[in-house]
Amino acid sequence: MAMFTRRKFVKAAGACTALGALASISACTANTPKRASGGGKGRVIVIGGGYGGAIAAKYIKLADADIDVTLIERDKKYVSCPLSNEVLGGDRNIDSVTFGYDTLKNKRGINVVQDEIVAIDPDKHTVKGKSGKQYDYDKLVVSPGVDFRYDKIDGYDAQAAEIIPHAWKAGPQTVTLRKQLEAMKDGGVCYIAAPPNPFRCPPGPYERAAQIAHYFKMHKPKSKVIILDAKDKFSKQGLFMQGYKKFYGDMVEWVSGAGGGIIEAVDANSRTLVGEVEEYKGDVVNLIPPQKAGKIAQIAGLADDSGWCPVNQKTFESKLHKDVYVIGDACIAGKMPKSGYAANSQGKVCAAAIVATLNGQEPGEPSYVNTCYSIISPEWGISVAAVYQLVDGKIVGVKGAGGLSPMNASAATRAIEAKFARSWFKNVTADMFT
Amino acid sequence: MKNRKARLLALTAAVIFSGSLVAEGVRTPSMLANTCAGCHGTLGASAGDLMPIIGGMEKEFLQMILLEYKTGERDSTIMGRIAKGYSDAELKAIASFMADQEWVSSPVKTDAKMVAIGQKIHDKQCKTCHEDNGRVQEDEAPRLAGQWPEYTMHYLEWCHSKGKRCAPRKMGKRVMKLSKEELKAMAEFYASEK
Repeated sequence: MAMFTRRKFVKAAGACTALGALASISACTANTPKRASGGGKGRVIVIGGGYGGAIAAKYIKLADADIDVTLIERDKKYVSCPLSNEVLGGDRNIDSVTFGYDTLKNKRGINVVQDEIVAIDPDKHTVKGKSGKQYDYDKLVVSPGVDFRYDKIDGYDAQAAEIIPHAWKAGPQTVTLRKQLEAMKDGGVCYIAAPPNPFRCPPGPYERAAQIAHYFKMHKPKSKVIILDAKDKFSKQGLFMQGYKKFYGDMVEWVSGAGGGIIEAVDANSRTLVGEVEEYKGDVVNLIPPQKAGKIAQIAGLADDSGWCPVNQKTFESKLHKDVYVIGDACIAGKMPKSGYAANSQGKVCAAAIVATLNGQEPGEPSYVNTCYSIISPEWGISVAAVYQLVDGKIVGVKGAGGLSPMNASAATRAIEAKFARSWFKNVTADMFT
Repeated sequence: MKNRKARLLALTAAVIFSGSLVAEGVRTPSMLANTCAGCHGTLGASAGDLMPIIGGMEKEFLQMILLEYKTGERDSTIMGRIAKGYSDAELKAIASFMADQEWVSSPVKTDAKMVAIGQKIHDKQCKTCHEDNGRVQEDEAPRLAGQWPEYTMHYLEWCHSKGKRCAPRKMGKRVMKLSKEELKAMAEFYASEK
């Protein structure tokens, strides 16, 4: 252990001098994990162990070990959506995007419970599991991800999704879609129906098109990928179109909403998508339906008419139920996209707010970041980044910061960004699960 | 022990120096710095490969780098875009927070033959600035011992391509004369020093 030197004093002082007068005192004490009084500061339950929930649970414990944290997750293992497009492209397997909760349990002191929460009673501060068990909380964090609006597309439901998978929750659906691509004959057509805004992972459908084209180029060069879009523009559009053209020529096609890309109905058995004007019969069809906040958020009345959950954007406390916080894809978070990095960042802001509140302090000023990488070809990566702050109660991007990878970047830069994408994945999942 | 004492002193310092600071909307160092963890790992202890370990790096060095990213003086793919989102004081706060963390060396396994080659080059050309096999951090020399080799290699290749324009110039002049294989050996050597 290092000695306490004058140098260290200067270091630590520097950290706090960046803060305001009174604010700095509470902020610096809030960083001190342990209080002499010992346990019983409060019980926090986190529902959902993904990009938002696992982080909220871990960062509450990191900041204050005396808070009792229970993470309740439906599944034994977590399968990451980010990087799962590389499973479709064939460059990685599903195990490489699958994670367990042992380290959170054993190293971080989080009580990890496998159960599916089916009811929340915000008045009594309890949640009920499918197992029949009831759990009490002082503060509840809900990080349920998205659910699908199957009703928006005639003939589509969970059963039809077994034939034409959405694969928009990574796991068995990802594997199904990959198998279908493998079984497809050369010269076939794969349709990807991209959903309307807002939805999980805005660049995701377009990275997926590139990854499927990458597989086709190597193994089925006469085949095509056609994106049928509900929208007229999409995330990182210029960079994606440039990448498609460079690597896949006319193998990838994009049909805008105005150009007939909006899908209204589906016939699963014949793998046919019904647009406003045309019908599209594919050999493989990936229909990503319109979305809303995850099921438990709907059941518990945490969502508004938009289908998403309004929250205080400083703390992520629900505007509809006190002591319940909603983070990740399910919440309405100002200008932040529904991405894994955004959920990670929101989980930390929410954790800090809960720790402050349980310690009798005001939640501090928040800071948020998003970074999304997309891999167009194994050595061609692109990104979008943003830094956010709270202005008049709304999350907005800091002007002059963030933005896209430049259009004219060199091949060497694109190769580095592809490597960064994979290194990001290692780090963000380590942040969640270790 | 160290941390508690440091924080106590820090509190005193904050009170003393607070007169000149903005009173509202101040974001704590942990609030700011935890947003880095999505790429650089929890508390800056990177899980690999191309993301450098930054937790436990020297404060002054991190400050300098972050400010250079912000101004564009230092090349980057993404750090420039991100650093522009913070005030200079906030970047300093992030640097201080990261500097206060424990350095956690990469657990990567290294190739003994490459390490030996790297050690020779280090002893001959690098050790005056990067003392104790890259452990000592002072005079703008970052910690190299235990860093992920992919990152060190990435940096060395960048420096190699810059040649004399790599800062510091004396390093660029040496690195530009090394082969790719030798650079790789250097990265392996530093990774082997935990």
